[in-house]
Amino acid sequence: MSPNKIRLVRFLVILGVVLLWEFYARVFATSSLSAAPSQVLAELWPKVLGEPRVRAAIGVTLIELIVAFVMSVVFGMLIGVLIGMTDIGRRSFYPVVLLLYGIPQAILLPLFVLIFGLGPASKIAFGFSHGIFPVIVNTIAGMRNVNPLLLRGAAAMGATRFEQLRYVMFPHMVTAVFTGLRLAMTLTLLGVLLAELFVSQGGIGFFTLLYAETFNPASLIALILTLALLAIVLNELVRMVEARFSRWKE
Amino acid sequence: MEFPGRDPSQRVLALDDVSLDIRRGEFVCLLGPSGCGKSTLLNIIGGMLTQTSGSATVNGTPVTSPRPDDIAYVFQESTLFPWFTVLENFRLALKFRGVEDANWRDRAMQSLSAVGMEQFASHYPKQLSVGMKQRINLARGLCVGSEVLLLDEPFAALDEQTRMVLGEDLSILLARRGKTIVFVTHSLAEAVFLADRIVVMTARPGKVKASIEVPEPHPRSPDFMLTDAFQDIRKELYGLLRDEIRQTVAAMRVARDAQA
Ligand SMILES: Nc1ncnc2c1ncn2[C@@H]1O[C@H](COP(=O)(O)OP(=O)(O)OP(=O)(O)O)[C@@H](O)[C@H]1O
Ligand SMILES: [Mg+2]
Repeated sequence: MSPNKIRLVRFLVILGVVLLWEFYARVFATSSLSAAPSQVLAELWPKVLGEPRVRAAIGVTLIELIVAFVMSVVFGMLIGVLIGMTDIGRRSFYPVVLLLYGIPQAILLPLFVLIFGLGPASKIAFGFSHGIFPVIVNTIAGMRNVNPLLLRGAAAMGATRFEQLRYVMFPHMVTAVFTGLRLAMTLTLLGVLLAELFVSQGGIGFFTLLYAETFNPASLIALILTLALLAIVLNELVRMVEARFSRWKE
Repeated sequence: MEFPGRDPSQRVLALDDVSLDIRRGEFVCLLGPSGCGKSTLLNIIGGMLTQTSGSATVNGTPVTSPRPDDIAYVFQESTLFPWFTVLENFRLALKFRGVEDANWRDRAMQSLSAVGMEQFASHYPKQLSVGMKQRINLARGLCVGSEVLLLDEPFAALDEQTRMVLGEDLSILLARRGKTIVFVTHSLAEAVFLADRIVVMTARPGKVKASIEVPEPHPRSPDFMLTDAFQDIRKELYGLLRDEIRQTVAAMRVARDAQA
């Protein structure tokens, strides 16, 4: 199938779903519980995105997300390299990381709020607690299976330990690390949003709750769509950076 | 040289009482059955391994760690970094050695054109054939300008024809530079064609069994391979090696039966 045909099919399927939804919402659904796409679009601007408080809330959430993500990446890679570099680290600490990774963090959320308060700090901390693990795990995974011959070659050419890390280990790890980064982006967003929904004073969570409790589905869906769009854009950004680093693989 | 292994039963005596002097500017080929310790010897000379007893000296100083200023290495498989272009690989080699300067690019291009690869400078290793990559590895070994070049079966992964051509190129290249070379190979013809002296090693533990001079000036033309002198040396080498290879195979059988 040609790329154009693939795109056409994809577009038609999506269009079909939207039309079905429109039809369902207009004919069967209760207007206080669900809204048709056309209504959502009409609601998006100016009522939702035109409202300064909503815009500020999206801004706050975005900042929480970015701070949490950057912290996940920095600390995750640091810890990953430290653990993955030595045999001792891999054997004694890696299992601990995997164990922690396995705990569903949602049960710890009240604890986060208790420690970090009702403001952005608890959202950042919770997002961070989601994002850091995939970064650590994938960094460690990336440090395995590096071609020993390349390390030997580098050593024979006089590369220092640091140069071996910088020019052999790190490039080798790029693929795995970016897998971790994409996962971390998704999970950080999840963590931030969960914390927002749990308790929020002015973030997105506050407005989702407000719209839901006032039976305003069109605004609610409009807000959710905005968030989804945000997530897609952020993921694409990570992917673009990855492509920039992966040219040698083509 | 003895490798400790994970427990005493795995201990391997790889080299035993090897004494070898290599003159400045000499091209020496190491020949011997598989597993006799050729790579091990090369690694000791290059400072990649520390010997358990005895000493290795290059240019009057004992070798204890890699000495990129004096010694360059070319391995059996490409050690070009796949994530950098050919040119970037050269730059790194010079940088590791601490001689990256303003005209590194000219230097790299010169070495590349010496092996006829200059038009591939901005390719990634993945875009090159195995033979091309080995040419470039060779060029990189020459580019860093060290006096000693250690080559561990650099052409082993190549087909016969490519090997011959590369061998001729190498002979021409080296005739001009006066480098000291230690070259490990399994090919008798390659050894005779390239070397000033061929060191034949025994089955493990490796010792020096014989040392045979090839009195033919460099660069050598392919016609040299058709001469009687060439054939005579080749036959002599074959005679020396045959027993050692038999012994290696017999030892492997014994080991296998002991395991079964
Ligand atoms: N790192 C190591 N640890 C333990 N034993 C080793 C190690 N390296 C080599 N050996 C042993 O030392 C012996 C010599 O190995 P070496 O690689 O030097 O042989 P070689 O002559 O280069 O063989 P080939 O022609 O097959 O490349 C082998 O029996 C091998 O099992
Ligand atoms: Mg070997």
